[in-house]
Amino acid sequence: MTDAVAAKIPVTVLTGYLGAGKTTLLNRILTEDHGKRYAVIVNEFGEIGIDNDLVVGADEDVFEMNNGCVCCTVRGDLIRVVAGLMKRQRPGKPAFDAIIVETTGLADPGPVAQTFFVDEDVKAKTRLDSVTTLVDARHVMARLDDSREAREQVAFADRIILNKTDLASEPELVAVEQRLRALNPLAPITRAERANVPLDQVLGLGGFDLERILDINPEFANPAHGEAGHVHDEHCGHDHHDHHDHGHSHDHHHHDHGNPDIPDNPDTVSESGIGPRGHNHADDIKGISLSLDRPMNGVKFTAWLDQLLGQQGQNILRAKGIIDVQGEDRRLVFQAVHMILEGDLQRPWGPDERRWSRAVFIGRELDEAQLRAGFEACAA
Amino acid sequence: MTTFTFDAQVTAALFDDTGAVFTLGDGSVRFEDGVFSEVHEGAILCATPHPSGDGIVTGGDDGKVIWSRRDQAGLLATSERGQWIDAIDASPETRLIAFSHGRTLSVIDATDADFRRDFQHERSVSGVAFDPKGRRIATSTYGGAALWLARIKDQKPTKLAWAGSHTGVIFSPDGAFVVTTMQDQQLHGWRLKDAKNLRMGGYPSKVRSMAFLNKGQLLATSGAQGAVLWPFIGANGPMGREATEIGYDEGSLIALVAARPAHGVLAAGLNDGRVWLADPAGQGLNFLKAEKGAPIAALALSPDGRRVAWADDDGLAGVVGLD
Repeated sequence: MTDAVAAKIPVTVLTGYLGAGKTTLLNRILTEDHGKRYAVIVNEFGEIGIDNDLVVGADEDVFEMNNGCVCCTVRGDLIRVVAGLMKRQRPGKPAFDAIIVETTGLADPGPVAQTFFVDEDVKAKTRLDSVTTLVDARHVMARLDDSREAREQVAFADRIILNKTDLASEPELVAVEQRLRALNPLAPITRAERANVPLDQVLGLGGFDLERILDINPEFANPAHGEAGHVHDEHCGHDHHDHHDHGHSHDHHHHDHGNPDIPDNPDTVSESGIGPRGHNHADDIKGISLSLDRPMNGVKFTAWLDQLLGQQGQNILRAKGIIDVQGEDRRLVFQAVHMILEGDLQRPWGPDERRWSRAVFIGRELDEAQLRAGFEACAA
Repeated sequence: MTTFTFDAQVTAALFDDTGAVFTLGDGSVRFEDGVFSEVHEGAILCATPHPSGDGIVTGGDDGKVIWSRRDQAGLLATSERGQWIDAIDASPETRLIAFSHGRTLSVIDATDADFRRDFQHERSVSGVAFDPKGRRIATSTYGGAALWLARIKDQKPTKLAWAGSHTGVIFSPDGAFVVTTMQDQQLHGWRLKDAKNLRMGGYPSKVRSMAFLNKGQLLATSGAQGAVLWPFIGANGPMGREATEIGYDEGSLIALVAARPAHGVLAAGLNDGRVWLADPAGQGLNFLKAEKGAPIAALALSPDGRRVAWADDDGLAGVVGLD
């Protein structure tokens, strides 16, 4: 088999509620002069306004596998559509270079992602590249308050695009970003107007690729200043770093009240539902960052992680980590989607590299103290 | 053996009364005598011999159902809004053609252009199969199978329920059983007279293909290291009986099987590119293609049981006679 066909086709999932700008972003991806061809899977067949010659309708056909694993909920329509699309591919002359799956605002991203790990045919021919979630700066706070799906889409993302920033004030944007980051400390947030995002921030992210889990900064996952994906916010400076380091990790409520960075602006309160008495303070989903400066016992850690995912995998949307295993020169990296865990020993630690273990768990109703205790108990 | 190299993926191999036919991912139909026609504007997703025995009927991702013969091709039907035609079957007995698109099963008559029935399901239809007399149609869908009377306009289907996602369906040649393949590496069957369930599991991978042979006394399937054979003898079918496996090879999986109820032989295509033919009552495997290569993607046995058509994932294909 030639490489052109043997190589797995990357799949990017675009998610976000109605009006967040998915169609605009999709059309930007499709019409930009990149010489690539995409197959687009949309939720509603015949949906207008998508500028591509290969648009396929799916019908959000979610089902549970019979294998007893409650997390093995997959999308039957995607299995069928991906299998059909792959029939167009041919050696040396692929019909498309990548697949983009657009989901509705009500879609649960879990089954979409799990389909690419659970179904053997889909897994053989495609690989899930990343999940990008669009949110609308003006309405996201209200959506996060009233929609479980909106919170899950943010929590699940490899990349969050904060769109329509021209329709919100800077303090509002900062508040939104803080809430998004509390829901998902792993995903960089990219600000955009009219979905004007560089394509390399949406495609080819390798969000599920162990090889690409190069660094996880458990305190602050925003890429460094000047790097792609960096969000310019109060963390650019050093003044408030302490706040985030300490306040955040012990009190996830902290991010939406009492923060000196958010001016006491009545408009912000009414527009976004945040403020001292904002009702969003108890987001049921949050990201928990763990780290340890001592090496870990590899056997203990693996057993702990297996047990954790087995018992709480339904509530854990995403997890990633880099672990310093005692007696091992290579880094142990892992990523998980609900109960589906992938882990491997990766490149060696550099001679001058700080050897430390860090992991981020994003999920519902996670007991941070218990997670931290379990994580730290794996120390060698 | 005649071989072909196609520059598109082969999506099905089949025989009409004259010879082998291949359908491709570029929308073309290739007859083994070299006749070529570009009939669909996309991939051909499913195909069946035309009920007349002359040519084949294909369903494509362009939403069209097309009858291709060696000298002409004609549009028989389309789906609403261009939905993919996912599955198709035809009955030489009643000359009916059944195909599915989305949640709809449609039935047309090869002898009456005005006849059409559309039957709705709650979930997407993954497979369609006529019963041996061509009067009923079984569909596979999420949560089980449904049985429809082919010609009746307003009806409620007989539902055969079993939790899970069913991905394909077949009728036993005596019309007594319906068997589905499932997403979960197993088969499920129903005895129609009492809707008794048959659970047929133990596969190491998804089952993609099923075929009855030997007067319907054996159901062969892919999905394991050897071809799995379920006994369908007497009123109880495989109930209380063990499946057997032939051609077991630890290093490969059976990707596809092909057989005919009228004959005792079984053809198998492997995921390492090999193709064999065997008589389960006899000894040994007759390797029709012994060299390894890309996984076998399409396989068919001729109506007389004397010829095999195969194709692999790389577009390499062949037709081989047994003489």
